Amino acid sequence: MHSPLFIIAAKDMRDATRDRFLAVVTGFLVLAALTALLTGAIALATDVATYQSAKATLLALGKSASAIKPPEFYPMRLLRGAVEQIEIVGSAIAILIGFRAATAERGRQTLALILTRPLRRWQFIGGKMVAGIGLLAIGLAVVMGLSAVLLHLTSGIGLTGNDLGRITLVWAVSVLYMASFFLASFLLTLHLPRPSTALLIAFTLWLVIVLVAPQIGDTMDPDNQVAGGVFKALSIARPDQLEIMKTYAGFEAVRNGIEVASITKHFERFAFAVLGIKATYAGLPLGPILSEKALDILWIVLAALGLGGLALALPLNVKTLSQE
Amino acid sequence: MSASLIAAASVRLALRESTVLLMAGLFAALVLVSAWLGWQATDTVNRIYLDAARFLAAAGKPVPTNPVLDTSPLILMRNMSVYVILIGALSAIVIGNRLVALDRKAGVLPLIASRPMTKAGYSNGKIMALGAMVAGLAAVAASVGTATLLTLPGAGISAAMWVHLFGFFAISALYMLTFGMIAVAATAAVRSESVGLLVPVTVWLAVTFILPALTLNLTPTAVLNPISALATPPDSGFFKFTGWALGPFSLAESYGALSAGLLDYRPAGWVSRAFLPPLVSLFAALGLATALALGALHRLNPTEGNYDA
Repeated sequence: MHSPLFIIAAKDMRDATRDRFLAVVTGFLVLAALTALLTGAIALATDVATYQSAKATLLALGKSASAIKPPEFYPMRLLRGAVEQIEIVGSAIAILIGFRAATAERGRQTLALILTRPLRRWQFIGGKMVAGIGLLAIGLAVVMGLSAVLLHLTSGIGLTGNDLGRITLVWAVSVLYMASFFLASFLLTLHLPRPSTALLIAFTLWLVIVLVAPQIGDTMDPDNQVAGGVFKALSIARPDQLEIMKTYAGFEAVRNGIEVASITKHFERFAFAVLGIKATYAGLPLGPILSEKALDILWIVLAALGLGGLALALPLNVKTLSQE
Repeated sequence: MSASLIAAASVRLALRESTVLLMAGLFAALVLVSAWLGWQATDTVNRIYLDAARFLAAAGKPVPTNPVLDTSPLILMRNMSVYVILIGALSAIVIGNRLVALDRKAGVLPLIASRPMTKAGYSNGKIMALGAMVAGLAAVAASVGTATLLTLPGAGISAAMWVHLFGFFAISALYMLTFGMIAVAATAAVRSESVGLLVPVTVWLAVTFILPALTLNLTPTAVLNPISALATPPDSGFFKFTGWALGPFSLAESYGALSAGLLDYRPAGWVSRAFLPPLVSLFAALGLATALALGALHRLNPTEGNYDA
């Protein structure tokens, strides 16, 4: 633990706990995630109450309640909004933490002082990376932990060990996902002459990767173009839909290609499958899901490793970092 | 020195900034993409309908009416509202930030204050510069939208539709301007350049992704789909209350509803649940943001050269 890398990491983590920035951004993500979870729970409770009322009316009229479909209840699905907030707000926060990690020594002439110590440059960079990703992991643990507690309280059904295991798995992949954005912003801020330009470029990348590419893919989905879905509007059953869509295989490949160019979509597909948010995965054991989603995990791991490797490999320009 | 001179100099300086050009360029590119997406999505639904009609007829099933025929050609522009909410607002934030941050960073405030110039003149000049640059962004969107509708065969736009279309671009300009004003206010009020950018971005994140969850139970990705964003909220006391009380603050929702009305894709029977109508909410937000921006610009200390002074 006396390695210079860990000394730098510990110093950065101490610095982060001294100001309120980390607490504020973690609080913001907690607020976003819990708001989504709570509103989802309220909406589900409304559906249940509506169903109970309709069922009581039918029974009072002497009719069968089988005419109405009961609302589906998978408590883990309530995490959908929280996962989406991690996708969007979480990645933006990771960019800010990466920016701060790289600017911490900038303009204060502390970098030159640190580099007079027996410390290799990769250890300096590595220490900052360990601290930043560690802070993200702690922040995400708070978000996921509080979400699990709220889910337990609002769903009225205790979470099982399997559920908690799935949430932990999603936490681990969320850390890698957010680490990719942290590292991208960290790299840009370390190597571009002006920190404000680096922050804006990082946010531009965030816009394109997190919001625009998935939005284009979503918009190209024909079923999203008519309220309620085009096939529902045309009263076409699922097997017939698949038959018709066979002639659109090329179009679907392009649409999917745009979506999977974004790491966000890989994270979403993985998290939605593991938590059973996507209907086709609800109730499935974890093994087959992990096997099917291996490529999504690989994408996220490779992105984080690639950016981390690049950050360690690129030579540090002390002159640039001495400027504000 | 007049306000118009400050405005002209500020616009020139901001246009030299690569970040401003990057964001404006990205906005222009995505406006083009949105026009293509609108056409492509409508065309795909139309082709699916024709395939489905053949399929249903062969199976001896009744063929329903084509959902595309029930819609106005202005629907082709529906994705533009999403890009205004995303990139348009962020571009305005960057412009607002740069208009003030460049002066503060360059340390020219004492120099400007040494000229025969009132604080009001300086503040008004900055607001005018922001207005001109946001109007430029809206003009880019309007040009692309107009060109798209004129180019596409069979669009058949009536005079009333053109009025609606330009109403949509005017509303879009108001929406972007509001976020630009928030950025001006934050950049002028805070001590650090980065915080000046982070504050409006945080406001934007909350307005775009958190408030719609509270008022409509919309997940963040549903906010990015112009059709899903108009979903009816659950019929509960909670959402009735939040929709009424928080609706006017949920600016993305107000803008989305107004855009849907102007571009003819708002569901029939849609009514605002907020205590203020969407248009009034947008104007109130712009008025408040402008007052904050003017106040913060007025309080800028002319004896301080830059952020570190």
